[in-house]
Amino acid sequence: MSIEVTVFLLRLLSSLILAGFLLALFYLIWRSLNQMTDTLEAEQAHYARLASIGDQNDEHRPDKSFALLPITTLGRSASNAIVVDDEYASALHATIVLEDGRWWIEDRESRNGTQLNDQRIQQPTALADGDEISIGRCRYRMILTKQRFTS
Amino acid sequence: MKPQTARQASGSSTRSRQQWLLLSLSGAFIATNTLALALSVSAEQRDWIGLALWISCALVGGKILQRFLPDRDPILFPIVMFLSGWGLLAIARLAPPFADRQEIWLLISTGAMLLVAVFPHALRWMRSYRYIILAVALALMLATIAFGSNPSGFPFAPRLWLRFGTIYFQPSEMMKLVLVAFLASYLGESATAFRIAGEDGSANVHLPRLLGPTALISALSVVMLIWQRDLGAAMLFFVVFLLMLYLTSGDWRVIAGGAAMVIIAGFLAYHLFDVVRLRVDIWLNPWPEADSRAYQIVQSLMAFSSGGLFGTGLGQGSPLYVPVAHSDFIFAALAEEWGLLGVISVLSCFAVLTLRGLSIGLRHSTSAFRRLFAIGLSTMLAAQAIMIMGGVLKLIPLTGVTLPFFSYGGSSLLVSFVMIGMLIRLSAEARQ
Repeated sequence: MSIEVTVFLLRLLSSLILAGFLLALFYLIWRSLNQMTDTLEAEQAHYARLASIGDQNDEHRPDKSFALLPITTLGRSASNAIVVDDEYASALHATIVLEDGRWWIEDRESRNGTQLNDQRIQQPTALADGDEISIGRCRYRMILTKQRFTS
Repeated sequence: MKPQTARQASGSSTRSRQQWLLLSLSGAFIATNTLALALSVSAEQRDWIGLALWISCALVGGKILQRFLPDRDPILFPIVMFLSGWGLLAIARLAPPFADRQEIWLLISTGAMLLVAVFPHALRWMRSYRYIILAVALALMLATIAFGSNPSGFPFAPRLWLRFGTIYFQPSEMMKLVLVAFLASYLGESATAFRIAGEDGSANVHLPRLLGPTALISALSVVMLIWQRDLGAAMLFFVVFLLMLYLTSGDWRVIAGGAAMVIIAGFLAYHLFDVVRLRVDIWLNPWPEADSRAYQIVQSLMAFSSGGLFGTGLGQGSPLYVPVAHSDFIFAALAEEWGLLGVISVLSCFAVLTLRGLSIGLRHSTSAFRRLFAIGLSTMLAAQAIMIMGGVLKLIPLTGVTLPFFSYGGSSLLVSFVMIGMLIRLSAEARQ
């Protein structure tokens, strides 16, 4: 076998290995992204509760909690699912929505804003277990579960 | 407890399988090409020592990482070994006298990367002693103005190197790492201050906290441009600073203001500095001066076109028509001899490095410093790779930076490897 043929075969082999490397790389990336999606899906919770952890009088009332509906409205007006009894809350202050297995909070152009973990939210934000929501001077804690509440 | 440890063990064995799969594919690629190189060109370009050295670096490095950091990201190390082995091969092909030097630097760099990755306090030190480290790096950079030299010895070449005996060291390379670490730690502490929303609902950027770093980076970039004529480093520092600031504050005005500053600075620099004017002119239209000032970039475009889909094959193209091809223009040589397939592979490797770096950052949800550090490191590598690859392809004006892991240059290789070492350490400590 002449040198030219060997060199050509080596060139072919090198291209094949390069393509193989790329395939392996993309396969590994694809698999790790899939795993990430699975982990995120495992964290989904279709039931959630909002526990009141303090209000304008700074009283802690951990016993008071609300089961969340797929669309829950929060605000000062009595028409809301959760009535926030605080003069700094707007009539319709915020909504919490269940979408694709995640709970999202959205500020409804309230005058004083909605704080999530002491940061004012600018856009609909996904909620995690244990997040603290402040509306006016009232504070709530988000509790996510996989089971329906029996109480 | 039992099922969890079992799951961790299986996760770690999957990771080590992934690492060895990619490493053996890289090894096969480099061995094939070394053989092809030995058969196709004169005897002085045989690079068996380089191959042996690369294999031992890969084996030892892989074993050590597997032993000490079983939870690390398994893809980073094989990718950088793949790129640096390929780079070594290209240097042996293009500039055989430089290959021995680069092999020694690869050995040193791999050692430094492993040290940084395995040694548990490196990250904390980068944060605790940030002002000292920054001061030392700045002092070294200023020293190049006074005592700088250039290995090529041309009287008008930029003097970016410090000489210690036979070793040349480029402080601006070290500055990349130092700057990212400093910004990550400084901005990380200011992150909460940045995020406090204003009365009108817009993010309220704290001007005084921003002034210090902005002044520092701008001054650094201008000094590098005026005294050193190092357009690449000046651009790189400023772009990475802007991106990190944007990621911290989440405020679009940072990007808009930064873009405005870059445009104004570019306009001024075009009229004030010959080097900038030259780069922009030959970017807009290189053809009238194809055999004088634009010779390098035109030859680079020729190299790309003659490469075609699968390249001419190693040792069979003529990449040496591009002047100094082993340094900034190594990407053009690679495109000629490995073709579009090679170009796509290199692009994918840098893309995957960046992707993994960013995801390591995102998994550090508790520490702002670690999050910004991982993101800053990957942004720095990505920006550098994009700037030089785009420049060589005449997509953007050419800024002379090295292609990380590929180009000839010890300081660049060492710093890029240390950056990867830090990323590997960060990935091992991140939430799974």
